[in-house]
Amino acid sequence: MGTITLRDAFWDRVYELAREDRNINIVTADMGAPSLDRFKRYLSSQFVDVGIAEQQAITVAAGLTLGGKKVFAYAIAPFITLRCYEHIRIELAAMNIPVTLVGVGAGFGYDDSGPTHHALEDISALRIFPNLKIHNITDRVMASAFADISCKMGYPNYVRLDRQMLPVVYSANSDFSSGVTALKEGSDVTIIATGNMVHRALEVSEQLKKHSVEAGVIDVYVFPLNEEVFLKAVSRTERLVMLEEHTLPGGLGSAVCETLADHNKNIPVKRLGLDLKTGYCYKYGGRRHIQSLYGLDTKSITNAILQLLK
Amino acid sequence: MRKKDSFGNNEVHGVHTLDRWRVTENKKKREDMSNRIAELKEKSKYIRNLVLDMCCGAGTGHITSSFSCTEILVALFYGGILRFDPRNPGWEGRDRFILSKGQASVILYPILSDLGFFPKDELKRFNQADGKFGVHLQHDVPGVEITSGSLGHGFGVATGLALAAKMNKELHMVVALLGDGECYEGSIWEAAMFASHNRLNNLVAVIDRNHLCATNFTENILELEPMDKKWESFGWKVMRINGHSFQDILDAFYDFRSRKSSEPLAIIADTIKGKSISFMCYNPLWHAVVPKDKQVQDAKNEIRED
Repeated sequence: MGTITLRDAFWDRVYELAREDRNINIVTADMGAPSLDRFKRYLSSQFVDVGIAEQQAITVAAGLTLGGKKVFAYAIAPFITLRCYEHIRIELAAMNIPVTLVGVGAGFGYDDSGPTHHALEDISALRIFPNLKIHNITDRVMASAFADISCKMGYPNYVRLDRQMLPVVYSANSDFSSGVTALKEGSDVTIIATGNMVHRALEVSEQLKKHSVEAGVIDVYVFPLNEEVFLKAVSRTERLVMLEEHTLPGGLGSAVCETLADHNKNIPVKRLGLDLKTGYCYKYGGRRHIQSLYGLDTKSITNAILQLLK
Repeated sequence: MRKKDSFGNNEVHGVHTLDRWRVTENKKKREDMSNRIAELKEKSKYIRNLVLDMCCGAGTGHITSSFSCTEILVALFYGGILRFDPRNPGWEGRDRFILSKGQASVILYPILSDLGFFPKDELKRFNQADGKFGVHLQHDVPGVEITSGSLGHGFGVATGLALAAKMNKELHMVVALLGDGECYEGSIWEAAMFASHNRLNNLVAVIDRNHLCATNFTENILELEPMDKKWESFGWKVMRINGHSFQDILDAFYDFRSRKSSEPLAIIADTIKGKSISFMCYNPLWHAVVPKDKQVQDAKNEIRED
């Protein structure tokens, strides 16, 4: 386990960058984080709070960016995305204003808070916009790297952060430019995962080994999918399983299927994620428990894959 | 013996001469002002004609929404209020004009082309296959700051621009034109609250109070009045003017760069949707509709005689 959350790793790096560059600003909709307290205290002139008004966070961020600033607009993931959907569409995507949206609480991250706080549709909702990129963060090394990347790129992006501590899978100075990284080779099946589910995929691959199944793991952390790199990474695999803590329509699995279909790749696939039929989650008892209710725990996923390979 | 001036009065430190000079200067200024206003009125007629030609040629465009704010835009762009450079649309010292009611783009485009931001021929290609713009505002047209069509967006961006100017210690102003119907959008009030809290006195919101939305009068849909009290209670300095009077508009803006107030300024401009063309006024059915056949000539005659 890392010693700090993805969120704090991200904001720590933004703080370091903002100390050197006074044009870097954070616009928050009444959201905090331990690392942000320091930012607010020592870089107060670069910290803007709009109150609980996420739409205003987007429009102010867009205006500040047009005025020469680099802006991170921050709130809970479903609020900074779905609440502000049309603002993102017009201010960020249509006008191509390079604001960085930062949403915390990917998937069931707010496991104690019910469906209003779950971010389960945001990837589908945002990956359809031209110009905008989604960065679904896997660990704190990547979180820190995307603070730097966000400052340098000339297009809008959405950094999607998990709320909880996650293990570190990347070494410092890893290259994240491709958006797709093969973390593990495996000849029988390849699990393609994103965000928090990458760690689950690694656990599952260990379990599958006990059943003599060699499973590869590919991390997809940038949407739209880098098709060239992705197709190369899956060129030698027999079967794909896509794993996401997100609704199936429009999510990672959907993106992979679109790419395979567009390139006439006839590879058997299985999507594991949240079926619309299950509806919104009004269940509690911790994230692992909630995941197990939807078949996203290690045991269920391992069994699903073994079933598939029979 | 004291020196006498030409009126036979004692001249103390030249005061009387100075008074006389002031009287003459003020008279000159009044004459200048009335000449200026006459010029602006002529310009409004010219621009309204361009709007009619453009919209009737293309068979689309929000003429009535544009005619309610014609005097406001003409005053801003020709009355010495806004700073801009048509040869360098991206000039950093320019004032930022945000047309938050983006459906009135058909009034801004002719003005920008008349000022030389882009060739006038482009107006003939309005909404055509080889044209650069359609009914709603586009940020990629020279002189235009934002894309706008959906309401409740531009004003928030204006607050961000005003805050950026404060942070950068830049002296340019941000002027946003809002529709009154646009004030139904909740995001307008998020932005209004933000602007006053952050003391954005470099921001002016002009509200085109034409009392009409797309289908009905505002006070029939949901009451917007008392509009001035609403803005005041959000921490704004409020002025209410006749939005078709150049005198009123110029007076409202005369010290807008040097106001001794930390509050942002809201100018509620009472206007008539479709102003200048009698058969288009006070009738919601003319929203986004263009005149046809004989109506076009009638409209032009009315603009000439207005």
